[in-house]
Amino acid sequence: MTNSSEMRDLARRLLTCEADAGETFASTEGAILRVYEKLRLSLDALAGAAAFHSLASRALVLARSETPALRKAQVAANGSLQGLGDSEPYIVADKDRAGEYPAGDGGIVLIACLLGLLFTFLGAALTFSLLRNAWPGADFDERNSGNGRNT
Amino acid sequence: MSTQDKVKINKLPTGVPGLDEIVGGGFPEFSFNIVAGAPGSGKTTLAHQFVFANATPEHPALYFTVLGESAIKMLRYQQQYTFFDPSKLPGSIRFINLSQVVLEKDLGAVLEEITKEVEKASPAVVVVDSFRTMVRRPQGDMDLQSFIQRLALFLASWQATTFLIGEYAEDELRDNPIFTVADGLIWLRQTAERNSIVRKLQIIKLRGQASVPGLHTFRITDAGLQAFSRTFGLTGQRSHLPNERRLSFGVSALDEMLDGGIREGDSVLIAGSSGTGKSVLATQFIAEGIRQAQPGIVAVFEERPQAYAERAASLGLDLDTPQKDGMLEILYLRPLDLSVDETMHSILDAVKKIGAKRLVIDSLAGFEMALSPGFRADFRESLYRMIFALTGIGVTILSTVEVDESFTEFPFSTYSISFLTDDIIRLRYVSIDGQLRKIMVVIKMRGGNHAKDIREYEITSRGVVILGKRLTNYQGLISGIPVHLDRPGEEEDCSQEPGIGSKT
Repeated sequence: MTNSSEMRDLARRLLTCEADAGETFASTEGAILRVYEKLRLSLDALAGAAAFHSLASRALVLARSETPALRKAQVAANGSLQGLGDSEPYIVADKDRAGEYPAGDGGIVLIACLLGLLFTFLGAALTFSLLRNAWPGADFDERNSGNGRNT
Repeated sequence: MSTQDKVKINKLPTGVPGLDEIVGGGFPEFSFNIVAGAPGSGKTTLAHQFVFANATPEHPALYFTVLGESAIKMLRYQQQYTFFDPSKLPGSIRFINLSQVVLEKDLGAVLEEITKEVEKASPAVVVVDSFRTMVRRPQGDMDLQSFIQRLALFLASWQATTFLIGEYAEDELRDNPIFTVADGLIWLRQTAERNSIVRKLQIIKLRGQASVPGLHTFRITDAGLQAFSRTFGLTGQRSHLPNERRLSFGVSALDEMLDGGIREGDSVLIAGSSGTGKSVLATQFIAEGIRQAQPGIVAVFEERPQAYAERAASLGLDLDTPQKDGMLEILYLRPLDLSVDETMHSILDAVKKIGAKRLVIDSLAGFEMALSPGFRADFRESLYRMIFALTGIGVTILSTVEVDESFTEFPFSTYSISFLTDDIIRLRYVSIDGQLRKIMVVIKMRGGNHAKDIREYEITSRGVVILGKRLTNYQGLISGIPVHLDRPGEEEDCSQEPGIGSKT
């Protein structure tokens, strides 16, 4: 489960979870940052801040090659994401319409790349375990999981 | 103080096959242990096996990773092992990375962080991997020994069984004050010997229980570590009592020479040069056992089981059916870098599986060649342990050994192992009448009144067939170049001798 479309679907589902947890209308950036922070905290505890920082930096490089919207984004020394931009439009938080968000692609691509790296390095079982821990109520489908080099 | 008043120390399974027996039943609960060894020796894998074997949601484990191997890489590789159960993360097993604390602060901060997490989770198992890396950087007020001392005290009172993983070379293990704090010290090592790697472990100390002393070999497979106790897991299992039950060879004349057969539980050595019929006799021994409802094991090193069975079939001995019926196992032991202990493990498993009473090792030379060079030096000692262990549980062992044919000597084996065997049967070529014939003699039979006869035999489609009676009119038979007593200095005409030239 490391091809980009599957990773983007998963990223969108995580965004939906965050949007559901918040207001009906939430900024894409806000949801993305919350997803990113949850991933950061989970991986910090599991593998350390340095490990997360290096993975997030790699994910950002991969994501930038796909979308210019992330050109100002940076991974800070503590691993937090900065400069995602104010240009991300608003999204409608409707979990039945997951995957249909017309905007916020930059952040979604970044989260997708980060998830792809997690699948590559940790494998599907551990990554889903990490996601379940961070989003206890979410239902993740592991049926199509696998791992390999993130491209 | 009565036995009932004494504190009971529970033993936790090590999660490593074979290691429970070595440590005396399992690691003591609440013990503080150090696993030491060079990089790549299997320390982390051992700790993981213990953690995965013991951690539950009610009794969770905390696994602190410090510096050294990246936690992500560690998890990536460790999950390749079959014991790694991802569903145990994070409910039963939590990995906590302390690298940042170590990099930015000192040992005091590390201890504080561990304390905080332990108080929060109340774990039953704690691992710090690797604590040694912490001491390689300049520290603050707290030195490593003080850190270990305080950590040990704290974790013991929190009822956690603890493992500290550390990279240590062999010479660092001596007189190291850090090790005095530990209840258990497990040392893993791997050494390259010629082209092979030999892995061994030693329980240098383990308070509160009797571990098996000495170096034990272990292997790392996709199932993790597997340890092979020097005592083969047979301590306290000696059940074989000397008895007079005789086991037939399936060759009646040989049984007669052996005063009725091999004594049950004996170790028998058949020595002879190439082509003298050692394997044939061994096959007859195992086939006769099966005929008498005594399951058997054949450990072969020089040919594959199918070839062995086919050769037996050419002698009219069916080994295929008993294999299907669970009466026989032919073990082909991978001829590369084995240790005697691993071989024994395979043999013992087979013995237990089918309740074997007879075991053939064909041959000792093949066995030795299959061993890693490092283990060949200990071959005699290892054989001694193996034979003692197996005969101790009532298995009768028949080993074959090839000896160089000499016409001036009469060696029993090239390994100087005759003292390990109860009975020795020697086969050899002898030059008679311009022919290279074969003779057989029982050299030794411990506790038995064996025949002293030298008998001629042939290998036929029925296996080994002993011909006629003993050879009486020759001198120097065992030299291989006998002299006929009636015609000294002449070439013998043996056609009139019983057994020579007149087959029965």
